[in-house]
Amino acid sequence: MNENELKNLWQSANERMIENFTITQKNTNEISQLKVNNFINSMKPVKLFTFLFGTLWVGTGIIILSHIFQSSYGDINKYFLFSVTFQIGLTAVALWIYLFQLITIYYLDMSEEILKTQEKLNNLKMSTLWVTRVLFLQLPFWTTFWWNETMFAEWNAWQLLITFSITAFFSFAAVWLFINIKFENRNKKWFKLIFNGKEWTPLMKSMDLLAQVETYKTEK
Amino acid sequence: MDKQRQHHLFQTIVEQHKGIMFKVARLYCAAEDDRQDLIQEMLIRIWHALHRYNDEYKMSTWLYRISLNVAISFYRKSSSKKVNFIPLNDSIIDFPSEEKSEKEQNLNLLEQFISELKELDKAVMILYLEDKSHGEIAEILGMTVSNVGTKIGRIKDKLKTRFSQIKS
Repeated sequence: MNENELKNLWQSANERMIENFTITQKNTNEISQLKVNNFINSMKPVKLFTFLFGTLWVGTGIIILSHIFQSSYGDINKYFLFSVTFQIGLTAVALWIYLFQLITIYYLDMSEEILKTQEKLNNLKMSTLWVTRVLFLQLPFWTTFWWNETMFAEWNAWQLLITFSITAFFSFAAVWLFINIKFENRNKKWFKLIFNGKEWTPLMKSMDLLAQVETYKTEK
Repeated sequence: MDKQRQHHLFQTIVEQHKGIMFKVARLYCAAEDDRQDLIQEMLIRIWHALHRYNDEYKMSTWLYRISLNVAISFYRKSSSKKVNFIPLNDSIIDFPSEEKSEKEQNLNLLEQFISELKELDKAVMILYLEDKSHGEIAEILGMTVSNVGTKIGRIKDKLKTRFSQIKS
């Protein structure tokens, strides 16, 4: 089959179907009445829930922490206070990145060239990696919030060694993951293990698409 | 642009160029339900981008960009998004049932081949099948004319190999 036959085949097959394809005036009327700023309505329920839950968590945390810092700073266990403060702070940063990503994607101009738009869009999707990296930084603080001054005074060397080793391990893991969770490592086994699951499919597809864009830009 | 004029332009564009949306949706979505959702999403994006339309580009170039960008990104949408969609006419897609001819077999082969292509290659393929010039394809995709030629050449070679493999 030559080139022209192929194109004719494609054209004739579509012609028949396009004749039967109708977009009614009712459809266009309804679309043209959609508000431009319907960002919240466009969010998937799971994203909306994550965002609202995260905001509630961070908001409540900030209110409680502000109260503690202002009125009962001297009475509270400092290890607990600073561990919780870092956790809330890192969650707030992750939440901000998440919201920024959702808004920027929603308002992205889809009428620009395909490669340019897809590169922007998928780079934005990749900022999900930043959210994950920031959240992993919380790991060591989950091992320090229960520390107290009595523990340092009364525990023997072995008990302290085990406690510090656990914190050191989680600190190392957090920093290592923060540095290494990136696009370039997408094909590594450990990366696929972390990002294995249905909820990560869009992210993995974004990476695949970015790789395609890269190939298109560099291939001669 | 006032709202009434924008609405009128939107209706005209949709009526005159509905084939672009239909063909892109057909290439990127196998299931009819997904295809209707995709066309709906394209219409919403066209409406939102209408005030940015720049007449230095052909209308078809502008529409191909939006339709292809939306189609390539469409995998992100889940079925839960459907609640926000206004349903399109149920009878929008009608596949005529005819006897299996050689033409139809070739068409099936072509569609099977296209379905195996990656997202960006599919975009090149549809523009090639629509007989767009290399210049226009380059403008839609955002690459050089010579790169378009190379890409089309490679996809055509794959297609030829595929056809000859199956036929033999």
